[in-house]
Amino acid sequence: MSEIFVVGVGIHPFGRFDKSYEQIGFEAAQSALRDAGVQWSEIQAAYLSRMYLPATSGARVLRRLGGTDISIIDVEAACASGGAALRQATLAIRSGEVDLVMVVGLEKMPRGFMDPSMIYAPWQINQGMSLNPAYWSMRAMRHMHDYGTTEDQIAKVAFKNHRNSVHNPNAMYRKEFSFEDIRNSKLVCDPIRLLEICAPNDGAAVLIIASEKKAREMGAANIRIAAVEHTIAQYSADFRCPAESMSTKIVNAGPTQVTAAKAYAKAGLGVEDIDCFEVQDTDAFCEIEIYEELGLCPLGEGGRLIDSGATEIGGSKPVNMSGGLISKGEPVGASHLGQLVDLVYQLRGTAGPRQVEGARVAMGHVLGAGGNCAVTILQR
Amino acid sequence: MCPANAADTKTGLEISSMTLLSNSRVPVREDLYLGSLDNSAELRLRGSKCADCGEVALGRATICLNCGNERMSELPLGQEGVLHTYTVVRNPPPGDYRGPDPFKPYVMGLVELPEGIQVLSIIDCPAENVRIGMKLGFQPIELRNNADGATPVGFVFASKE
Repeated sequence: MSEIFVVGVGIHPFGRFDKSYEQIGFEAAQSALRDAGVQWSEIQAAYLSRMYLPATSGARVLRRLGGTDISIIDVEAACASGGAALRQATLAIRSGEVDLVMVVGLEKMPRGFMDPSMIYAPWQINQGMSLNPAYWSMRAMRHMHDYGTTEDQIAKVAFKNHRNSVHNPNAMYRKEFSFEDIRNSKLVCDPIRLLEICAPNDGAAVLIIASEKKAREMGAANIRIAAVEHTIAQYSADFRCPAESMSTKIVNAGPTQVTAAKAYAKAGLGVEDIDCFEVQDTDAFCEIEIYEELGLCPLGEGGRLIDSGATEIGGSKPVNMSGGLISKGEPVGASHLGQLVDLVYQLRGTAGPRQVEGARVAMGHVLGAGGNCAVTILQR
Repeated sequence: MCPANAADTKTGLEISSMTLLSNSRVPVREDLYLGSLDNSAELRLRGSKCADCGEVALGRATICLNCGNERMSELPLGQEGVLHTYTVVRNPPPGDYRGPDPFKPYVMGLVELPEGIQVLSIIDCPAENVRIGMKLGFQPIELRNNADGATPVGFVFASKE
């Protein structure tokens, strides 16, 4: 099977901006075209991932680059929208129809908790069961009960990610917080605190990808997409929002385990081959759970892994070198592609102070509502 | 119906008694209950059980989400359960929340019922007393009225300890 390569990347910083989503997306797309050294007229198809934006956002954003008659499609899969869009783009190239495709991740979101009517039934909203972090926090509480994971270990994840963000010019919060600041910040949903949780915001990230033939012609066959997988949670695998019940008899593998297993198999790689990771840190606890589900450590050992320092930039398995979503914010449609832009910098060796020495294989992971999960593996 | 101390605690829900004045109760969700909304002691959560694999869903289900079988039968769910996990919601939830006004923090959790199902629910228990494994009882509650004056009946699981 022919390989697919990332031939250009662009990003608009994540944060809150007094400009339209069209402008934010346009700027990121333009920077990706420059990075790839291609003209908009050479792009043969485009996909735009978003959750909050209106219909035909892709066309509205990209027509600013010039009139076109190519297919432009919006893709939505909650927090995994970027992975779902990238996957569709790779399938289009694999079909042989197109060789050069743009994938835009974009969002512009209001402050505060997300609009519950997008994912919950009215009765759940009426009862007060429509707060996304509550579902994630319940997983933390059970993990603490089963494995002895502590609030200090959860706070350490937030401490690491905030500290890493200082070096990321595209993060919303570029501030190092003291461990005490984090431990004493306000509880949002017990045991998760304000400085341990990500905020919805604005941002865009763009990948331009090419068939092997096209990438070689461009002299840009350097970073291949070894795998890009997207799944939703199977039956009784995950009580993440907007679940209303679970089976007590059947416990199926969670979406991260399932998606990662598919990605490892597709890439022909194992967790031991991955040099660095950007993962979904909706809250600091969920990074701990994801360590376990990606196979960085055995089940229940995630708290001890953060204690060991292995997931620091200089550690054996660096995670969220960019500062993670806790410091970048989570513009839902842009979050996964934002991870991948940062991982491309890692593989190019241009990540500056957050560079992982000699990184050759990198993984991006996102997980959200409905157990929507995407895992992408990039390889130099 | 309401635990005597619920209104006295920092985080308990102020649940209105079901013996009330409202003459037009409606279920917060159409297929959620078995029994009369005016007889709260008899009211049960409705489940659906698959005749093939035995898995149980909340509410009226026509297809088993585990095996795809279409032979589902009605199953009243138990009124007692055990807390599997929980959190404390410290901020008013977004959207059309019908709980106490002004807002008070509340506990939300996953309740394990004897029929092989865990149900997400509001937990009527002060935050400082809640713990995994505690015994809970099903309890219908009245939520704040709809625009047409009808009173939606929701539910909680309340501490039995």
